[in-house]
Amino acid sequence: MGKAGFIALIILWLFLASVAVFFGIPLVWLILSALDPNASPEFKIPSTISMENFIRLGEPVSGVPPYMWIVNSTIISTLVATIVTIASILAAYVLTRYSFKGQSAMLTAFIVFRLIPPLILALPIMILYRMWGMMNTIHGLVLAMSALILPFTMMIAESFLKSIPATYEEAAMVDGCTRLGAFLKITLPLAAPGIATIWLLAFVTSWSQFVLPLMIIRTPSLMPASVGLQFFFGEYGRVEYGKLSAFSILYSLPVLIVFLIVQKYLKRGIAGLVTR
Amino acid sequence: MSLSEYLKDRFLEGTGARLLLLPALALIAIFVVFPVVWNVYVSLTNYALTGPRARIYGFIGLENYIRIFRDPSFYNTLRVSFLFTLFSAIIGQAFLGLGIALALRMREPEGILGKITRALKITASTLVFVAWIIPEVVAGYAWSAITSKGGLVSMLLGVNENIYVKYPFETIVVANVWRGTAFSMILFMAALEGIPQYIYEAAEIDGAGPWKRFRHIILPLISHAILVDFILITIWTYGVFTMPFMIVGPSGQGGPAQIWTLYVYYNAINVYEVAYAATAANIMFLIVLAMIIVYLRVMGFLRRWW
Repeated sequence: MGKAGFIALIILWLFLASVAVFFGIPLVWLILSALDPNASPEFKIPSTISMENFIRLGEPVSGVPPYMWIVNSTIISTLVATIVTIASILAAYVLTRYSFKGQSAMLTAFIVFRLIPPLILALPIMILYRMWGMMNTIHGLVLAMSALILPFTMMIAESFLKSIPATYEEAAMVDGCTRLGAFLKITLPLAAPGIATIWLLAFVTSWSQFVLPLMIIRTPSLMPASVGLQFFFGEYGRVEYGKLSAFSILYSLPVLIVFLIVQKYLKRGIAGLVTR
Repeated sequence: MSLSEYLKDRFLEGTGARLLLLPALALIAIFVVFPVVWNVYVSLTNYALTGPRARIYGFIGLENYIRIFRDPSFYNTLRVSFLFTLFSAIIGQAFLGLGIALALRMREPEGILGKITRALKITASTLVFVAWIIPEVVAGYAWSAITSKGGLVSMLLGVNENIYVKYPFETIVVANVWRGTAFSMILFMAALEGIPQYIYEAAEIDGAGPWKRFRHIILPLISHAILVDFILITIWTYGVFTMPFMIVGPSGQGGPAQIWTLYVYYNAINVYEVAYAATAANIMFLIVLAMIIVYLRVMGFLRRWW
């Protein structure tokens, strides 16, 4: 390697290192403060490392033990993921196996829905729920959240089912299978990894969603983790940093695990925007 | 034809199959389309969150729209939203994302130097990715903490105050660059991978230096990706709510960081003027709709010509 090459390498290292520092610092602080019983905004190595903050999450905050919010999030996200997966697969099946008027308009509409900022919907949904008596209800939140996520999962489902040739089903039907049978026995097993991906992505999207529960759920014991977390910001600006960081880490774990599983697919999806 | 035959042959094969669209369409109609329409109706009334106007409210025509176009705080939020999107999406995320994507494509030398380079690449790109996928409230909390008094940022700047109070706009811009860069990085990585190796080699043989290679080969070949990236991150950044909400609160520290999503929330929940908030939301929705139409046009154009 020549001198110029070496200098270029050093510059590359410095750049990558600064990127790592910039993106790493908030994350490292989160971990350090979660392990520190005396956590503060200060960036420091804890003098005593302990799991105390995690254990103390059993104590109630605003009258609710924080793990309840994780339980609520699990229930809500499971329901949402299941609803949108079924609805997406059914709709995508029709969109990829039949042709009818308005089909491409429908796909375009889904792109538009997907790009609408959630707050645009959250405000009128709150107003409507006040009329419909659906404020502060889990089913109200689940339905609205499903609708919010559906355009996203619909498009994934559509691309998955499109990649499974309809000729497989046709062949099965020629051999005497019914349409439903062909779908259940041929397409569904082939689409299984895709369906799992859709379910997982829907689960974590709903798990992280903030605006809708913020507008709809007002009772602490019904809140999902994203909104319940606000209660660690106590009154008079006092924040329980240690417990909040510990809670944040527990709350982020499922998301990290899911993305570890689906990241290849996700990257391919983004690549699909710019490659033929 | 008997009924069962009809059901089996005609209904399921044709029209009936479309019923499978029903769950999806019903959800979208009730919880996406109808609310957007309802928001228009609400903006024409004097509906409030509490008090008598929460129960009995009346139609007041375009009064809210007339009022909002005379409201300095609305022009403030327009300006702040525009600058926030410009700095955080285009200048921040897109350029940093492209820079990181290029750095990740750099050749690794042989031996130990190459191993260090590889480790740095993996560490940097993983952290960028994690910043993008953790729940937005967690990201918001971490940023509000490190920009608090006594936090790392206030120490580095030598300011013993809450940075998010002293520099609220800058804080949410930087925090959002941190949050969103991963998308541009991944998009540009994919675009760069699409450039065949022999093009680089040919250029190198012809004696083109790094800048010339970037300017005359890479840039033209990824221009479509840059276009798609700009539009998408602009739309997303424009609609950001959660992180700024966590860092500077609904008032945006009294205005300087009040992007439109905070403005809508603030007017609806803190000031109780729901109809007025709906008015602002509708105007901002028209802007995002225009951007979405541009996106659809561009994607349609690329699909046909590129």
